[in-house]
Amino acid sequence: MAEITLVEAVNQALAYEMEANPDVIVMGEDIAKNGGVFRATVGLLDKFGAERVLDTPLAESMIAGLAVGMAARGLKPVAEFQFMGFIYPAMDEIINHASRMRNRTRGRLTCPVVFRTPYGAGIHAPEHHSESTEAYFAHTPGLRVVVPSSPSRAYGLLLASIRDPDPVIFLEPSRLYRYAKQEVKNDGKALPLDVCFTLRSGDDVTLVTWGAMVKETLAAAQSLEAAGISAEVIDVATIKPLDMDTILASVEKTGRCVVIHEAPLTCGVGAEILAQIVEKALFSLKAPPERVTGFDTIVPYARLEKYYIPSEKRIIDAVNRLMEFA
Amino acid sequence: MKIIDRFEVPYYQYLNEESQLTDDAPQQVAKDSNTLLNLYRTMVLVRTMDTKAVALQRTGKLGTYPSTRGQEAVFVGVGNALAKEDIFVPYYRDMGTLLQRGVKLSQILQYWGGDERGNCYNSEDFPYSVPIGSQSLHAAGAAYAVKFRKENRAVLSMFGEGATSQGDVYEAMNVAGIWKLPIVFVVCNNQWAISVSRQAQTAAHSIAQKAIAAGFSGEQIDGNDIIAVQHRTVEALHAAREKGEPRLLEMVCYRQHDHTTADDASRYEPKNMREQEWKKEPIARLRRYLEQSGLWSEKEEEILQAECAVKVDEAVKEYLSVEPQPLESMFDYLYASLPDIYKTQRDMLKDVEIVAHG
Amino acid sequence: MKIFHLPDLGEGLAEAEIREWYVNEGDVVKVDQPLVSMETAKAVVDVPSPYAGKITQLHGKANEIIKTGAPLITYETDEVVADKGSVVGKLETSEKKWDDGDVIIGGTKTRAPAIKAMPAARVLAQQLNVDLSQVTATGPQGLITADDVKRFMENSNENKSSSTQLTGQTEALRGVRRVMAQTMAQSHREVVPVTIVEDVDLTDLPPKSDITVLVLKAIVAAAKAEPALNTWFDGKSLERKVFDEVHIGLAVDSTEGLFVPVIKNAEAKSDQELRQMVDEYKKSVSARTVAAKDLQGATITLSNFGMIAGRYATPIIVPPAVAILGCGRSRDVVMPRNGQMVIGRIMPLSLTFDHRAVTGGEATRFLGTVIQQLQSAK
Repeated sequence: MAEITLVEAVNQALAYEMEANPDVIVMGEDIAKNGGVFRATVGLLDKFGAERVLDTPLAESMIAGLAVGMAARGLKPVAEFQFMGFIYPAMDEIINHASRMRNRTRGRLTCPVVFRTPYGAGIHAPEHHSESTEAYFAHTPGLRVVVPSSPSRAYGLLLASIRDPDPVIFLEPSRLYRYAKQEVKNDGKALPLDVCFTLRSGDDVTLVTWGAMVKETLAAAQSLEAAGISAEVIDVATIKPLDMDTILASVEKTGRCVVIHEAPLTCGVGAEILAQIVEKALFSLKAPPERVTGFDTIVPYARLEKYYIPSEKRIIDAVNRLMEFA
Repeated sequence: MKIIDRFEVPYYQYLNEESQLTDDAPQQVAKDSNTLLNLYRTMVLVRTMDTKAVALQRTGKLGTYPSTRGQEAVFVGVGNALAKEDIFVPYYRDMGTLLQRGVKLSQILQYWGGDERGNCYNSEDFPYSVPIGSQSLHAAGAAYAVKFRKENRAVLSMFGEGATSQGDVYEAMNVAGIWKLPIVFVVCNNQWAISVSRQAQTAAHSIAQKAIAAGFSGEQIDGNDIIAVQHRTVEALHAAREKGEPRLLEMVCYRQHDHTTADDASRYEPKNMREQEWKKEPIARLRRYLEQSGLWSEKEEEILQAECAVKVDEAVKEYLSVEPQPLESMFDYLYASLPDIYKTQRDMLKDVEIVAHG
Repeated sequence: MKIFHLPDLGEGLAEAEIREWYVNEGDVVKVDQPLVSMETAKAVVDVPSPYAGKITQLHGKANEIIKTGAPLITYETDEVVADKGSVVGKLETSEKKWDDGDVIIGGTKTRAPAIKAMPAARVLAQQLNVDLSQVTATGPQGLITADDVKRFMENSNENKSSSTQLTGQTEALRGVRRVMAQTMAQSHREVVPVTIVEDVDLTDLPPKSDITVLVLKAIVAAAKAEPALNTWFDGKSLERKVFDEVHIGLAVDSTEGLFVPVIKNAEAKSDQELRQMVDEYKKSVSARTVAAKDLQGATITLSNFGMIAGRYATPIIVPPAVAILGCGRSRDVVMPRNGQMVIGRIMPLSLTFDHRAVTGGEATRFLGTVIQQLQSAK
C-alpha cells in the first residue's frame, strides 16, 4: 500500500467512486486532459472517458448551475471550482438553488452534488487564491460543509460526501495538498460525516480546529506537552452540521478551550463554537474561551501572507494565558 | 418564412506573414515610420522584460508570473492606440499596455512579487483583475460614468478568449449595447485558457460574432500584425468616444509560453504547435518589414537589445531593493478610516513586526 | 535518466561560470532545492532543481564555464518530468509522514467531566485557596455556588480537629504529580537511556565556591564541545535539532512535586546572573508563581539531587531533550595523590544520555569536559 498525499487521496477517492457508481460525473475547468491544476483529477479522463470527466467552458456560475440540473435528474456531479476565490459567481446557484431544492419541492427533487475546491492561504499564490470563507456556507441552511485535514480523512470524507444525498461543499486545504504522506487503503470505506475527530487526547485544554490549521495545532500541542500541558486536539472536519457533543464533552473535561481557524475573526465559525460553549458549558469553564484566527483583513499578498496565517506561537500563547487561570 | 437578419464579421490584416503590406493597408502606414519604430522598440522591451520575469520566477525572486510571449503585438498595439485620457481596464497579462500608461516595469514586478503597492499606478486605469471576466462589468460601469459626465473619453476592456464564456462578459456587452456605452472590448485570443483550447471553449465560429448578439459590431484581427492591431483599435476607440458605439475586437494570436510559470503546457499542448505558430510571431514580422523598408538594421538591433537589457536590469534592481510593507499595513486600506474595534488587532501585528522585521 | 540543461538565467548571455556546487554526485535532491551558484557577467544566481531525484553526474567543476542550454546535471529518475502540479503558487512538499496516532471518531469518553461551578464561585475559591472538589454543591444542575464556597470555608474552620479516621483515601493524581506520572511513562516508552557515572575531584576548589553556578558553566562548555547532547530529538521522524544556545533546565523540588524552570541562554550569562536566576527560580517554584513559559524550552537539564541525599543515580530524560546531568552529594574521601593518602572532596556525577541520538563517545567526552572544567575552576 503506497503512502499518498492529501491531493492523491482525493484522486483515489474520486477514482474509486466513479468506478463504483456510473452516475458520478466529475466536472470543472482544466480537470480532464490536464488532470486538474493540482492533479486532483489526474487519470480520470483516460479511465472513465470524456462523457463523465468534463472540461467545462470558463464560467463558475455555469458549473454550479449545470451541477444542480444534472443532480435533479439523478446524476451525481462532483464539480470543482479551481480556487475558493472563484466560487463566488456560483453563490446564486449554490445558495438559491442547491441548498433549497429538496426543501422547496418537498423532496420530489433533490441536489446530491459535491462542490469541491482548494481553499486557504499559504501557497504564495497571487491574490484571490487564498480564501478561507467557509463561514458563508456554514451560514446557509441545507448545505453540508466538510474540511479534511489529512490524506486518510480526505479519502474517507470525500467518499462520504459523494454518497451523501445532500449538497456538500468540500474544502481541500491547498497548503496541505502535498505536505505529508500517509498510507490510505483504497478500500472504499467512508468516514462518518457530521462528527468531529479527536486527534490527540489531553486533560488541560481543548484545541478545536480544522483544515490546514490542524498542522500548526498539533505542533503546538506537542510543544505544550514538553512543558507539561496536556492538550486535547479536535479536528471538526464537518463544519456544518457541527458536532458540538464531542466539543462540549471535551470542554467539560478540560475546562479550557481555544478555537483555531485561518478565516478572519469576526463571524468566523469559531464564533458559533464559542457561543455554544458559553450557552451549554459555561459552568465547566475555568477560563474564558479564546479564538486564534486570521485577522479581520483581506489576506495580504504573498510577501506578507505568512504573518496572516495564525502561527504555532499564537496558539501556545493563548493556551498559556488560559493556564494562568488556576 | 423570411430571413430577418444576417451578419458579417470582417477580418483585418495589414502586414502579412511575409512582412508585406496587404492591399487594404491604410496608405499612411508606409510613411508613419515614427509610430512603427516606436511600436517595434516597445515590443522588444516587453519581450525582454517578460523573459527576465520568467527567469526571476525560476530563481525564486518572483512569484507566479503569466508570460505575454508571442502576444506582444496585441498589448503594445492597444497601448499605443489608447489616448491618454481614455480608461484602460486590464486583466493580468497586459504589461505591454500598462507600460505605455504610466506603470513602471518595477511595479509590474512588484505585483507579481506579492506586494499590493504594485497596483499603485500613476493613472486612472483599473488594476489587474484575477477573477476572470469580472472586470468587463467594471469597464461598462466606468463607461457609463464617462457618458454621464459627458467626458470625451473611451473605456477599453481587455480579456482572454476564455473569459468570453463567463456570464459577466456577456452581461457587460449586453448593457454596453443597449445603453450605447463608449467602450471597446478587446479579446486577446491566444488559443488557450490554461489547458482548454479555443475549440473547446465555444461553438461560435469567431469570438468577434458574440458582439452581434449584444447589438453591436465585432471584427477579427490578425493579432500578430501590430499595424492592424493598432489601426483598428484607434478606429474603434474613435467610434466609442465620438459616437458612443461599442465594438468587440478579437485579436488572434498564440500563447508562446505556459499559462503561468507554474503551469506545464506539455501536458495538453500538441507537440510542435508552438514552433509552427512561432513562424507568425509579431516582433520578427515587423522587424523584417522595417529592415526591408530601410528603417532598421542589425546595428540598430544590437543597440536596442543593449538598451532594453539596461532598462530591465534597472527595473529588477529597483524591485529587489524595495523593503516589504510593515505588517500593520494589512489594516491601513480596509476602510477610509479604521473603525476602533480593529485597532487591537492592528496593534497585535506591531508585536509580530518586531520579531519579523526587527 | 534525465538531463537538466543550464536554463537562460535571464541575462541574455550565452554562458555562465560555476561558482560553487551545493550538491554532490549521489545526492538525492528535492524540487526547487538550490543546486549550484552560477556567475554571469552581471550577477551571481542560484539555480534551483526542476526535478526530484538522485544526481548521477555533475557536468562541470567549479570555475568551469557552461553554455546556456548545455547539460548541467544528470539525474537518475523514473519520473519523465517532475510534475510540479500547479497553476499558481508553490506547494510545500516533503517526505514527511502524516502521523495520525490514535484518531478517535467523536470524543474520547475518558475521565468524568470536571467540576461544574458558577464562574463567580471559581474566582472566590481561587482567592480563598479552596479546593472545589471538596465543596458540596447546592446550586441548580449540581452547580457549586459562591455561597457553597463560603459555607465550606466556615465549616472547615470548625472541623479541623475532628478528623480521626485513619482509613486512607484514594486520590486521583492531579496537577504536577499527574504530569510526572504521564511524562515518566512516556519517557520510558521512547528513550533508550544509558547512564555514565564518574566522580569529580573538588578538593582544590577555592572555599565558598558557588558549585551550582560552576556546574552550569561546565555544562555550557561541554555543550560547546559536544553539541550532540544539547539537542532535541524526534524519535518518530528521526530528526534532530542541534542548538547553539544552551537553555539549561534546572530541576527544582517543591512540596507540589518537581519543577524544571529553564535558564535561557546560559552561555550568555555571567556568574552573578546565573546565581540570580537560580535563586529566583527557587523562590518562584516554592511560591508556585513560576510562569508556564519559563518551564518550556530546555535543551539540557541539571538535577542537583545530591543537595538532599544520594550519590549516583540514573536520572530520567524527558524528550525531546537527549541528556541530563545529575549531581550527587559531595563528601570527603580518602584518595591517593602522588602515592600518598590524602583527604579530598569529591562529588559524584551521573550523566544519562539517549542512545538513539547520542553516541557513547560524545557522552563520555561531554562528561570529561564537565569534569575538566570543574577541576580547573578558580
